[in-house]
Formats: sequence, C-alpha cells, structure tokens
Amino acid sequence: MAGTDTLTRTDETTALDVPWSVIVHDDPVNLMGYVTLVIMKIFGYDEKKAAILMMQVHRQGRSIVWSGGREKAEFYTQQLQAHQLKTSLEKAS
Amino acid sequence: MKAMPTLEGGLRIDAENFNDWGMLRSIIGDANGCGIDLASRLGGLISQEAGAEDWEEYVVPDLREGFQDELAQVGAAIESAIFNADAGPGPLWISREDVYPWYSALNQARLAIEEQFHFGPSETMDPADLTPKRRAGFMRSQFYGAIQSLLLEHVMK
Repeated sequence: MAGTDTLTRTDETTALDVPWSVIVHDDPVNLMGYVTLVIMKIFGYDEKKAAILMMQVHRQGRSIVWSGGREKAEFYTQQLQAHQLKTSLEKAS
Repeated sequence: MKAMPTLEGGLRIDAENFNDWGMLRSIIGDANGCGIDLASRLGGLISQEAGAEDWEEYVVPDLREGFQDELAQVGAAIESAIFNADAGPGPLWISREDVYPWYSALNQARLAIEEQFHFGPSETMDPADLTPKRRAGFMRSQFYGAIQSLLLEHVMK
C-alpha cells in the first residue's frame, strides 16, 4: 500500500467580539435615589444620565446600563450585584 | 426613637428605650431570616449562556462574604451602642465612612422581608389589611426604608 501524506490547512478568520449588555432589573425594595447613585458611582455617568436609566428600570422593568466587551461587562455586573441591584448579563442583540 | 444628621456628615439615632434597641437589632435578624441568601438570589439572575456555573463558583461566594461582613460590622456597632447605653436611652452614630455597610444591612433586611412576604410597592399597601405577623414585617421594612432615605439624603450624597 502506498504511503499517504497528510496535508494540514489553516484558515484564519477574524470576527468582532460579540458585545454584552449589563441589565438592571426593577425590584420593589431599592430606593430610586440609591439606584441613581450606584449607577453614577460605578459607571461615572452624570446624574442626569443615571436618573434616565433609573427611570427606565422603574417604568419598563429593566434598563441596559452598559454594553461592551465581556470581561468588563462581568466586572460591572459583579459591582452592581455587590450593591444589591438585580443585575443580569446578556448578549447584545 | 429619633434620627438626625450630624455636623460631621453622619447620622445619629437616639434610642429611647430597650424596645428601640430591639428594633435596631432586628435589622440583623431580618437580613439573616430569609431561606435563600441574597448572594445566591442575585447570582441566579445570570443565565447559562452568560456563565451561570462560573458565576456561582467564583462570584457568589465573594458577594456572600461581603454581605456577611457588612452585617457583622453593623451588628457589632449596634451591640456596642447598646452596651454603652446600658440598654437604656442612648445614641448610635453612623459616620460617613460607615454609611455603605449600614445602607447595605438595611437593604438586606428589606430584601429578605420582601422575599418572605411579597409586599410589592409600599404605596399600594394598607397595613390595616395585614395579619399581625405581616403587619410587623411591613412596619419594620418601612422603618428600615426611612433610615435608608435619611442616609441617602444626608450622608451618601
């Protein structure tokens, strides 16, 4: 039987990393002023932007407070949970 | 019981009798009173796609430890104040440096009460319609929320 050679081909492709969203959910306990304060503290947003996001949480039940790379999204989610805000992490659509 | 801001930017709570100290002690009891701990409830919001198992293994224990440390700090401050007042009338001081553990402990207590009784938004609640046990839980939650509002308004901002 004749010998066989194995040819290996490597394809290199580059794709953009899928962004992740940090989502704060409404709950009946956390005070609105506290939610605003925590969003300002963690993301460095000004009070106006933080208050808009807080009102989205309050009125719509949830708000995307940040989107970006996975590692940073995990860090922010952990920080928000440490401040006792109901927070989840989702792939951005 | 009276509460007022201090000139140093903190909050002073004056207990007038043993019952007031009991009310403050109940913060820790309520925070620890829920069957499922807060760290696990928060960690449960992370989906499988987002890495729920890793979150449970690496993040939740840190959250749990942080929450317990905050409760321990606040519990020690309450017991120290009770000791100094000989369980009678006396002050409890919350400094600006200690405000986050205090806010956290009060929040943990309110979250645990909500988990137990499911009151929902307080403005729709009439305490007269509640059983004595639920009414007591509701009143404690309202008291903790009032202290939180004072901390937020006068110390944290």
